[in-house]
Amino acid sequence: MSNITTVEAFGDGFISALCPELMLFAGLLLLILVPNLGRGTFRIPGTQIRVPWLLGGTRFKITSDPRLPAWIASLTLGGAFLNVVYTFSQGLERVVIVSESGKELLLVNGFSRVFEMIFFGALALAAFSSMNRLQVKGIGARVSEHELYNNRRQADFYILMVTCALGMSVVALAQDLFVLFIGLELASFSTYVLVAFLKESKVGVESGMKYFIVGSVASGVGLYGLSMLYLWAGSLQFSVLSVAFAESGTTALPLIGIGFVLVGFGFKVSAAPFHFAAPDAYAGAISPVAGVLATASKAMGMLGLVRMLLIVAAPESSDGSAVWLACLGAMAAITMTWGNLAALGSDNPKRMLAYSSVAHAGYMLAALTAVGAWNWDATVSGDAGAAAVAVMTALLFHLVVLVAFKLGAFLVLSVLESEGGASRLSSLGGLAKREPLLAVAMFIFMISLAGVPPMAGFLSKLLVIMGIVRIAVGDMGAEIADGGVFVLADMHWVWWLAFLMVINSAISVFYYLRVVVVMFFDEPEEGREGPLPSGWQVRLAILACVLTTVFVGLAGDALIRICEMAAQSLNYNW
Amino acid sequence: MQDWISMPLVGFPLVASIVLLAFVSNADESMRKRLSAPIRMATLVFSLVLLTITTGMFFQYFGNVSWEGISFNSYEFTHRYNWIESLGIHWTVGLDALSFPMVWLTTFLLPVTIIATWNEKNGAVYFPILLAMGGALIGVFVALDLFMFYVFWELTLIPMFFLILKWGGKDRKYASQKFFIYTFTASVVMLLGLITLYFFQDPVNPLQYAGSMTGRTFDIPTITQHALIENSNGNWYLGANIQKILFAMLMLGFLVKLPAVPFHTWLPDAHVQAPTGGSMLLAGVMLKMGAYGMFRLPVSLFPHALQYFQLVLMAIGMVSLVWGAVVCLGQTNLKKMVAYSSVSHMGVILIGIATMQPMGWAAALFMMFAHGIISPMLFAVCGAFKHHYHSMEIGAMRGMAKHSPWLATSMMFAWMASLGLPLLAGFVAELMMLIALWYFLVAEGWSVFWMVGPALVLAITAAYYLWSMQRTIFEGGDETQPPESLHGESVPDIANPEKLAMIILAFFTILFGVMPWIALDMMHDWTIQIFEGLILPILGGFNGGA
Repeated sequence: MSNITTVEAFGDGFISALCPELMLFAGLLLLILVPNLGRGTFRIPGTQIRVPWLLGGTRFKITSDPRLPAWIASLTLGGAFLNVVYTFSQGLERVVIVSESGKELLLVNGFSRVFEMIFFGALALAAFSSMNRLQVKGIGARVSEHELYNNRRQADFYILMVTCALGMSVVALAQDLFVLFIGLELASFSTYVLVAFLKESKVGVESGMKYFIVGSVASGVGLYGLSMLYLWAGSLQFSVLSVAFAESGTTALPLIGIGFVLVGFGFKVSAAPFHFAAPDAYAGAISPVAGVLATASKAMGMLGLVRMLLIVAAPESSDGSAVWLACLGAMAAITMTWGNLAALGSDNPKRMLAYSSVAHAGYMLAALTAVGAWNWDATVSGDAGAAAVAVMTALLFHLVVLVAFKLGAFLVLSVLESEGGASRLSSLGGLAKREPLLAVAMFIFMISLAGVPPMAGFLSKLLVIMGIVRIAVGDMGAEIADGGVFVLADMHWVWWLAFLMVINSAISVFYYLRVVVVMFFDEPEEGREGPLPSGWQVRLAILACVLTTVFVGLAGDALIRICEMAAQSLNYNW
Repeated sequence: MQDWISMPLVGFPLVASIVLLAFVSNADESMRKRLSAPIRMATLVFSLVLLTITTGMFFQYFGNVSWEGISFNSYEFTHRYNWIESLGIHWTVGLDALSFPMVWLTTFLLPVTIIATWNEKNGAVYFPILLAMGGALIGVFVALDLFMFYVFWELTLIPMFFLILKWGGKDRKYASQKFFIYTFTASVVMLLGLITLYFFQDPVNPLQYAGSMTGRTFDIPTITQHALIENSNGNWYLGANIQKILFAMLMLGFLVKLPAVPFHTWLPDAHVQAPTGGSMLLAGVMLKMGAYGMFRLPVSLFPHALQYFQLVLMAIGMVSLVWGAVVCLGQTNLKKMVAYSSVSHMGVILIGIATMQPMGWAAALFMMFAHGIISPMLFAVCGAFKHHYHSMEIGAMRGMAKHSPWLATSMMFAWMASLGLPLLAGFVAELMMLIALWYFLVAEGWSVFWMVGPALVLAITAAYYLWSMQRTIFEGGDETQPPESLHGESVPDIANPEKLAMIILAFFTILFGVMPWIALDMMHDWTIQIFEGLILPILGGFNGGA
């Protein structure tokens, strides 16, 4: 356990603690300034002297390159990602950023760093791979590379990417519900626009509208819950709220307030029944953006849930389990089953991936449920704290590796999309013949999503199931060794969530395999026999995803340890 | 002793196949055609290297390893590396009398399969996939870590899925998916059982090889040791209820893989659609993964539950035996008939396990081995039949003895071996199983009348095999009129590589039929060991012949 360093805003150590965020700020400024650099001059009034001041006018050749914003954004996000990874290798410090009145605003620790890693990694990959994706004319038309690049809105797109990352990292750092909500809205609004970015196509606009309206309603409900919590506790600090909850948490007002806040986050993780907008949004957005929604945005929602459920509404009720246990358990069960069953029937690969991400949200909610099964401060079991850390580790690990294979799958679809739509499963037909390496990559992503070893997806699912089972079994193993006699029914009922997960994994194989069969078995669609559109950036990003998926699956120990360290830093009472 | 020698058994074929596949992945169509022959040669040489290693192990070339008298839960050629330390996962490899025959069988079948399917289309990709399949199968048998075992267990699905999907018959799309989903579903239930077992270990007493994060271990020898001590004290390891449920969850995975009726329906589909090479490895080794798993985990860990479920297993075995044989009678498709006969033979293995007699277990082990040599020959014959006559229908080709003597002879030999002709390998196992069943019935005080079932099945087996032979080999028909499916082509006999494969398989069928003790001795010693260590303390006395 490391010591907490308290830093005032803009005080000593502020820059080193918030280095990744400041990098994003710098990148944002560059994104606004650099594409506008040109031969603009400024005439000193009353004279004929023109002073070159570089803004406006005819742009320089290099600053008019439409790829420039993409490069700036990718380098910014990638740099921020590497910075976070570097801090892991340096050993983690805990830094609290406080306001002048001493209120905790932001907390930098292992937990928030892991989430920053997820956000920046996912957005950097998405930005880098959409470098040659943005078109002038809507999807569907085959356009030349020149046209692809000649998009005046390039800068807007990447500015939104960076603001999205900024908002998300504020969510990760926030120690105050209000700060958290600001970050959440910054990220949300960026994603609303990103989803609707292809305004040339009807689908894009429709899905963007839908996502915006449903998302705003969810945010509104969340904000209402926030106001109730403020009314109840007089503060929105997590530290204050959790103390207040321990005293009088099971009264109506805080429970309703927390429930409303959870609706807001439930929408972000696309948990049933708040998931209805997700398939439309994913299908209408361009694939890299859909990939961001399924990974980074989902991680952000999950982060909010963890903060609300495990920090504020920690398991404190009289029988030792959390008040929300049954409710969240039911939600997890419904979410994973609904997601999988809906995915079975969808012919659109992007909708299929959207529903599969609903199912994955269900798995993660099941893990969260398991943490709530006991009261960790009470000495029900000596193993309890370690078990809670194990579940959190599993959750973090799952979110991290999801970036590799979920986003990777969307990137493969992105390649197909740039030759004219990937809205039917048959558009993947014959991919193994057209570009074998891309088909193999998609195959690896699919079996990883299904949880087949030796891919990262298997390890993450194994960790989640192991975490749940560990909590369900508790210390029965030790008691059996001392001569205790147990039956299976003595296990906590969360074991059945693990069972449901296992059954759901089996169901999910159906639709993941279908993609593989289409790629390797079916013939290409008419007009799609030729080579796929070029673009080394997206292929490099896919390769990175493949390597991560395989490597982490084979040797995930280092990442598990990082996640364990992060999970321990969530709650130092564990 | 050179313990490291078991390392390349798993790593080498997997790495080699990945390298070869990466090598051909960027080649275009014509390049692949040209690469096909050298790659085929390379995979053959690689697989022969593996065979040399395992044969050398048998002849004690790599250190003084005596395969006979290996005591229960001790292993040869072991080595252990840290893999995922936080969860207590190690790369643990070892061989005992249970796994060694299976490993040898895999390395033996790999070159035979390559030879038998010498002219398979798109060979540049096909042969490396066969090699990967072999590596994954060996991995299942040598793994001594639950995680590693499960990883390889699932890894075998991937090459087999592609073998069926890319080189299979007309309905290969359906068959490959059914195969994958069926066996995957069963094994995830098994996985949950394994994880639950993992967490029922006592973390308070420091366990060997425990994970830093969990305090439990995936190490099979460690777990088996704990279970052995607990069980032999007369207690149920982990308690009665939990042991029964874990036993059932693990058994589900293994029964589907075996496959036993009623979980067998994936097998005929997979077999009929799979290419010859896929069928040979599927029937030869992959089905035995189920039986191997039963011995390695549920039987070794949960003998009380085995006794509790003894009659259920016996019933499933009997039903598989009879059902498989009866369904065979009604088949007109040669390959489907052979597939159902596999179901029937797997029933023999299950009965052998359920007798809880050392003789029965040895019979099961030897059946795994013998069927592993005979069934690839059956499928090689089916493949040759299909390849040369473009049909799998019994009766599509008549009077084969006249124009295709090689194929007719191979078919006759394989059919005879499979129906249990004395002096051939299958007979030994079936006879032992019948004796063990007799012991079981006597020991339980049941009527010997129950023997009629298996005995009748032997008659049914003979019936369908003889009937199909009579229809294809001997029945003359109009010899001047070749079957319609040939479209007027001349009637060829099998090609030279196929002949070679048939000769090799026939030779070993005779070898292990005449001198079964080569393999049987170590199996028998092992079953006596496990019986005395595990079952005797439960039964409280010796109740049957060994």
